[in-house]
Amino acid sequence: MRTLSTIAGLAALALTVTACGGGATTLAEPSAGSGAPTAANTIVIGTANFTENVTLGHVYAGLLKSKGYEVTVKPNLGSREVIFPALQSGDIDMLPEYQGSLLLHLDKAGKAADGDAQAAELKAKLPAGLKLLPYAPAQDKTIWMVTRATADKHGLKSLDDLKKVTGQLVYGGPPEDKTRRIGLVGLKEVYGTEFKTFRALDAGGPLTKAALRKGDIDLANIFSSDAEISANDWVGLEDPQRLQPDENVAPLVREQKADAKLTAAMAELNAKLTTEELIKMNHKTDVEKEDPEDVANAWLKAVGLVS
Amino acid sequence: MRWSWFPDHADDLSALALQHLQMTVLAVALGVAVAVPLAVLAHRVAWVRGPVLSLTSVLFTIPSLALFILLLPFTGLTRTTAVIGLTVYTLVVLVRNTVEGLGAVPPHVREAARAMGYGRTRVLLAVELPLALPVVMAGVRIATVMTISLVSVAGFIGQGALGQLFIDGFQRAFPEPIVAGIALTLLLALVADVALVGVQRLLTPWTRR
Amino acid sequence: MGLLQQILGWFTQAGHWSGPEGLPVRLLEHLEYSLLSTVAAALIGLPIGLYIGHTGRGAFLAINLSGFGRALPTVGLVTLVFLVSGLSIWPVYVALVVLAVPAIVTNAYAGMAGVEPELRDAARGMGMTGWQRLWQVEVPVALPLILTGVRLAAVQVVATATIAAYVSFGGLGRYLFDGLAQRDLPQVLAGAIAVAVLAVVTDLCLAALQRTLLPRGLRLRRAAAT
Repeated sequence: MRTLSTIAGLAALALTVTACGGGATTLAEPSAGSGAPTAANTIVIGTANFTENVTLGHVYAGLLKSKGYEVTVKPNLGSREVIFPALQSGDIDMLPEYQGSLLLHLDKAGKAADGDAQAAELKAKLPAGLKLLPYAPAQDKTIWMVTRATADKHGLKSLDDLKKVTGQLVYGGPPEDKTRRIGLVGLKEVYGTEFKTFRALDAGGPLTKAALRKGDIDLANIFSSDAEISANDWVGLEDPQRLQPDENVAPLVREQKADAKLTAAMAELNAKLTTEELIKMNHKTDVEKEDPEDVANAWLKAVGLVS
Repeated sequence: MRWSWFPDHADDLSALALQHLQMTVLAVALGVAVAVPLAVLAHRVAWVRGPVLSLTSVLFTIPSLALFILLLPFTGLTRTTAVIGLTVYTLVVLVRNTVEGLGAVPPHVREAARAMGYGRTRVLLAVELPLALPVVMAGVRIATVMTISLVSVAGFIGQGALGQLFIDGFQRAFPEPIVAGIALTLLLALVADVALVGVQRLLTPWTRR
Repeated sequence: MGLLQQILGWFTQAGHWSGPEGLPVRLLEHLEYSLLSTVAAALIGLPIGLYIGHTGRGAFLAINLSGFGRALPTVGLVTLVFLVSGLSIWPVYVALVVLAVPAIVTNAYAGMAGVEPELRDAARGMGMTGWQRLWQVEVPVALPLILTGVRLAAVQVVATATIAAYVSFGGLGRYLFDGLAQRDLPQVLAGAIAVAVLAVVTDLCLAALQRTLLPRGLRLRRAAAT
């Protein structure tokens, strides 16, 4: 009897899953609600679940507040897979994005490597209702890194050198690196190297850094603006074929919010937001453990964007 | 441990704790609203009981991450999504305890009520449910404590309340927010449990000796 | 193509059944984490539950502490232990054991507390020592509830062991986290279904085991009662 009713329960569950699932076949499906129109001067900024993005969200917020907007920041909302649909449905209005990754999110085959080419491609590929504003010089590029010891042992300077140790190293990166071009596929295609094993970690986050420190992996995905690189003396491998795209920071906004005033404010920000400044802010939050919001506001004042 | 971090962030922490509490209360209240009618049905209609109890326990085993992802296309990246998910996980305890409580009402009590001319609905509302209340409330207490500990999994969709502190601490290799999150979660569970014991006493004066 | 067909398609694809990332290996990893955690939790929880049930000492404290333990957020524990231990499997085991202990302690205690005082007195009257009373009278009578506690704990552990993938380890949780990162919804749901099925199967197996382990005397008593 118990077994029977369990099966009945499972069957009912399966029915619910299909009923709810309907046509949703990818995670990028937008939610049903089409963003209700909101007052023009209110902005909800969402951020992904890593600290630099949270800080950038607060930088946008601090600047827009000084221009008279009413701003709410929703930090640490999740990964891009989860947040992007929320932008489309109007749960949030604005998101600090990275052009290279965003392009790959929208087009798995996207190959544009530099900021201008990416911006042009993105213009064509962004879903209706979304607008990407001009990008900042600040970049947070993914770089394939090894420890100093590994680099010395195998004489590694560039990704080209990986051919010498094909099949010997352990690759550690986010789960998607296993199947996408900027990962195992591209490294094999472009640099002719393969790996002993692949270890699914995170995108340059605490898992990847811990694994590289501990020696569980040899080659890791690390963000170029990470404040821990110099502390650990990690070595970034050169990428002569430009497999890793540029990753300039750019605000992704719902079109109805992207008026001239907001665009102008973001252009002012772009004049100041360089990679060096980004690394400085990351150092404050990640190493000195200051609050992202405080770091953002202090930076805005220091560079004179907010008085 | 940087002790000054805690008082410096008292405002943020209390805001998150309040949000945590709101989500818990919403989820458990919704859970009761769904579970009690289901349990009454299962109590009255014998063949419904097995499937209802099994369905709720199967729902309980679905990983929360998958449940949230399933809900995202419908309710978006909102607190609603988190609360619906949390409600689903309260059902197993609430339904089981309500069915048990109703089943433990002595038949002669029920019969006496019928003999006094009570209709079925009145028997349910005036006799069976009040007598089942202690067991139902025991379920509510378990469900509440469980929900308080589960809210943090909604951090995957940015709605983790105190659980947001875990993400922050994890990303920055910073134990202070994590410790604060765990301590406040425990404190919240303690306060909620004591409050529920009080509510139960008020609702069932006859159990006091 | 409907979502259900896609999930079915995922399960019927041969590649998902072999290799280090195939279902059998992921399932075994998941079982390894779950089994070791449940056993460790039983080794910790059963002596505590039996001790307080047998002596009646510390019951209030133990029951409240384990109620408290139920409130410990698993994600928080995993991240905190990760910061201390670095990248290792320890965060997973600590969190799962902490998750499992309360149910085991409270049910073992409830089982022991439910042993009729007459029975204890009779055993004492027969001249049994404390040790004999524990093993020959109290534990056998309390066994159904003791095992219920282990069963509840095991099911909860199986459903929660997906957390291992959160800190880069294996188990069925990999399909959830990899599927999310690779934007492959069928993979996420296939993983979720596998976890749910494993938890239900665990529950059924332990229920069957519980029936087999039930002492004959108790079975007779139950039969007489109904």
